Amino acid sequence: MRVDWVELRDFRNHRHTELTDLPEGLVLVVGANGEGKTTLLEAIAFLGLLASPRTSVTEPLVRRGAQDAYVRGEVRGVQGRTLVEVHIPMRGAVRAQLDRSPVRRRRDVRRRVRVVFAGPDDLSVVLGEPAIRRAFLDEAIRTLWPLKEGVITAYERVLRQRNRLLKEWEGRGTPPGMEAWDAELASRGATLTRLRAAAAEALAAEAARAFAQVAGYALEVRYAPSVEGEPLEERFLLRLSERREDELARRTTLVGPHRDDLRLVVREFGARSFASHGEAWVAAVCLRLGLATAVEAEVGEAPITLLDDPFSALDPTRRRRLAEGLSRRGQVFVSAADRELVPDGAPAVLAVRAGEVRREGA
Amino acid sequence: MYEGPIQDLIDELSRLPGIGPKSAQRLAFHLVKAPPEEAKRLAEAILAAKERISFCVECGNVAEGERCRICRDPGRDPTVLCVVEEPKDAATIEKAGVIKGRYHVLGGAISPLDGIGPEDLRVQELLERVERDHVAEVIIATNPNLEGNATAMYVAGLLKPLGVRVTRLASGLPVGGDLEYADEVTLSQALEGRREM
Ligand SMILES: [Zn+2]
Repeated sequence: MRVDWVELRDFRNHRHTELTDLPEGLVLVVGANGEGKTTLLEAIAFLGLLASPRTSVTEPLVRRGAQDAYVRGEVRGVQGRTLVEVHIPMRGAVRAQLDRSPVRRRRDVRRRVRVVFAGPDDLSVVLGEPAIRRAFLDEAIRTLWPLKEGVITAYERVLRQRNRLLKEWEGRGTPPGMEAWDAELASRGATLTRLRAAAAEALAAEAARAFAQVAGYALEVRYAPSVEGEPLEERFLLRLSERREDELARRTTLVGPHRDDLRLVVREFGARSFASHGEAWVAAVCLRLGLATAVEAEVGEAPITLLDDPFSALDPTRRRRLAEGLSRRGQVFVSAADRELVPDGAPAVLAVRAGEVRREGA
Repeated sequence: MYEGPIQDLIDELSRLPGIGPKSAQRLAFHLVKAPPEEAKRLAEAILAAKERISFCVECGNVAEGERCRICRDPGRDPTVLCVVEEPKDAATIEKAGVIKGRYHVLGGAISPLDGIGPEDLRVQELLERVERDHVAEVIIATNPNLEGNATAMYVAGLLKPLGVRVTRLASGLPVGGDLEYADEVTLSQALEGRREM
């Protein structure tokens, strides 16, 4: 699918930006840092996510001096045209319309407009805590299967309930009602585990392939769940009973998807961890490209892919190889601080300066 | 912040469940601006309800007097109990006319996050009733959400050793939802398809 046109009003430093006839393929967004090129990608991400991939608060999204920011745009794909209009007030909830009807559930938009965003923060998916990789897997689930979002929120809630029960229990032995929460944790935890396994499997092979193409050696992407084996729910209950004493002593839940990880291992003369930021960054981008390919396999067309500053951390060889891998992926927006960083061949180039966009090329 | 009676009214209204400060303010000004009869009718209805309505000593549902209409009705099978969270759930199911037995209102669902444990629900009363009335089947109709499920599981765990048949309303009810929003057809299908726990 592709964004056909997009309009930003009072969105960060863009007073009014309107772009029409955006083509399929690579779209280059060039501008120095702070001029508003990332903002353009962020605004396009809003059309699918109804949220910023960079921040969870709305205040910085509204241009200084304005009260509200607006992003509108039309996406074309195999399901036809989709008009998304987003109103971002300085304070309060983001409101959106899908084909001029109010959006009640975010997943309704996610089903129509699939967006994959990779930015510098993604380095922490590779180098940071397991929680960030779990968040990546859950984002992959929401992107691949928007209607399954409830599985994630249901697990979060049962975990909070069970943790509260453990935390507040002052008596001896097991708190009353514990078995009921064990059963809920096991059933919802097993569902989430299966979904994360499916998401990891859907993106792993392509992430590894893309990595090998850029780095020249292998990347292993493997889901490492807290509970494994079949029947999964029974294994869950077994593990919970094994850890019962520990849980009562530490007053928190020690078994479940909130302790999963996604293992990322480089294989070059044996397994090793990441040797440089550049290498880790290639892995981070390739995880997102793996997700984009998984989405294409799932829905029959590539998502809108947004890569914020993918080239600057790379040496020229890897830069060229990554750029080669970006063709035939549907519409891919790539931002760069310097034109020189970008290999030739983009059909459209958008030059961004002080929140204004000028179009060059096709 | 306002002064005197209007602020008192806002304060009282905002203590009601589901009423935030803004709604309380809106309601208060609505009442003050309305004709005096309207405010009087509301005040009287609240007082009358408070004086005349109590909770049934058997099932915990709202009642006029010691026992509710259903517990007083000899035509209702005392050996089948339908367990619900709140009186409004009993009312929803009763309207659908699918239960030939009686109800048992727990008074909520287990939810540690809200500070509600099993001891805060009318569970002991349920166990006593089941033994005393030789109850043959308990149909658990707690809400089809996380807390409702956990409550159902907890109650079933206590009932099964008593040798009573325990069933749960079938899914098909809006998942994660509220019994309140289920229509009659859905409810009777959910009862037909109830499963053993
Ligand atoms: Zn009664």
